[in-house]
Amino acid sequence: MQIADTNQHYDLDPAIFGSFLDPLRKYSCGLYQADDDTLETAQLRKLRFVADRLGLRGGERVLDVGCGWGSLALFLARELGCSVVGVSPSPQQVAFVAGQAAQQGLADRVQVQLGHFEVVDLGRGGFDAVTMLGSIVHMPDLAGAYRRSRTLLRRGGMLYVSESCFRSATLRARFSGEADDIFVRDSIFGWGDMRPLSELVCAAEEAGLSMVSLDDLTDHYRRTISDWLANVRAHQETIDAIYPGMAVRLVRYLETANAGWGYTTKHYALVCRAAR
Amino acid sequence: MPSPAHDEILTTITEIVAAELGVPVSELPPQRDLREVEGADSVKILRSVAKIERRYDIEMDDDDVFSLHCLDDAAAVIAKTLAQSRA
Repeated sequence: MQIADTNQHYDLDPAIFGSFLDPLRKYSCGLYQADDDTLETAQLRKLRFVADRLGLRGGERVLDVGCGWGSLALFLARELGCSVVGVSPSPQQVAFVAGQAAQQGLADRVQVQLGHFEVVDLGRGGFDAVTMLGSIVHMPDLAGAYRRSRTLLRRGGMLYVSESCFRSATLRARFSGEADDIFVRDSIFGWGDMRPLSELVCAAEEAGLSMVSLDDLTDHYRRTISDWLANVRAHQETIDAIYPGMAVRLVRYLETANAGWGYTTKHYALVCRAAR
Repeated sequence: MPSPAHDEILTTITEIVAAELGVPVSELPPQRDLREVEGADSVKILRSVAKIERRYDIEMDDDDVFSLHCLDDAAAVIAKTLAQSRA
């Protein structure tokens, strides 16, 4: 099964990501307001944005699918007293998040499950919210992922999906398979499919979800990646000392991603409710 | 304000593309296929397009963006887009 390979990028030594991401290691789009916003400020604002879009008030049960290094899970537990289950197929990420939860005194509120969302045991479900920040792109069975989210949500629960998308089905047909796309998809991540937004909406509808909001975050992701690129360049030696040659690969990946925004790709946040 | 003439646009975009591709302006005669320029790739060409669009405050049609081959073509597309946006 192809999804097993998705680990390859995310399972690299967390120190690599610590050298170019923000202090919370949030490996997804930030939210910028002012010209002088730092990456750290933008990522914190984005975490609050996710909580706001989901209508979280405190104490909810949240499932974070593709939890990365735990920025959102730990934030929701720490700031809002939520009980969060994180899922990641990467052993390095799971160990890192569990360590952070223990260190921050949040071990009773943050659990991490190792495995693929499609098959991992998530108990009785009944979550108030499910979040998928940049993770559905790595799941071959889109309809199945939405159905599983719907099943795991309580009635009226909320689903937040943010994803990078080809700008249209036509552009995807034209550019999926070009050299740069293949480099990013295969040699960085292992598997990925930047479905156009229309497919994400269609799959959500078919799973019985109702659309609540849609945000275009493309410009924010361009700026996020510019900040990451500056950090990779500033810490090239550190990165290459951990994994020789990785800095150049990261620069190519990030530059490719940033050149495409608005032309071939977009980044959207879609929020749905598990209700008619 | 009159639209800039083709040659004026050509001079401006040649400088922008040369800087993005990291080559001297003399390497970029108007008819040269940009994909054949050493060091050029689709990422750099797309970044050049983005800078050109910002410079002229325009959005070119997708078909034009993705089929640009040489600077002469690009200048013609920009002149056309500017004329449309000011019509």
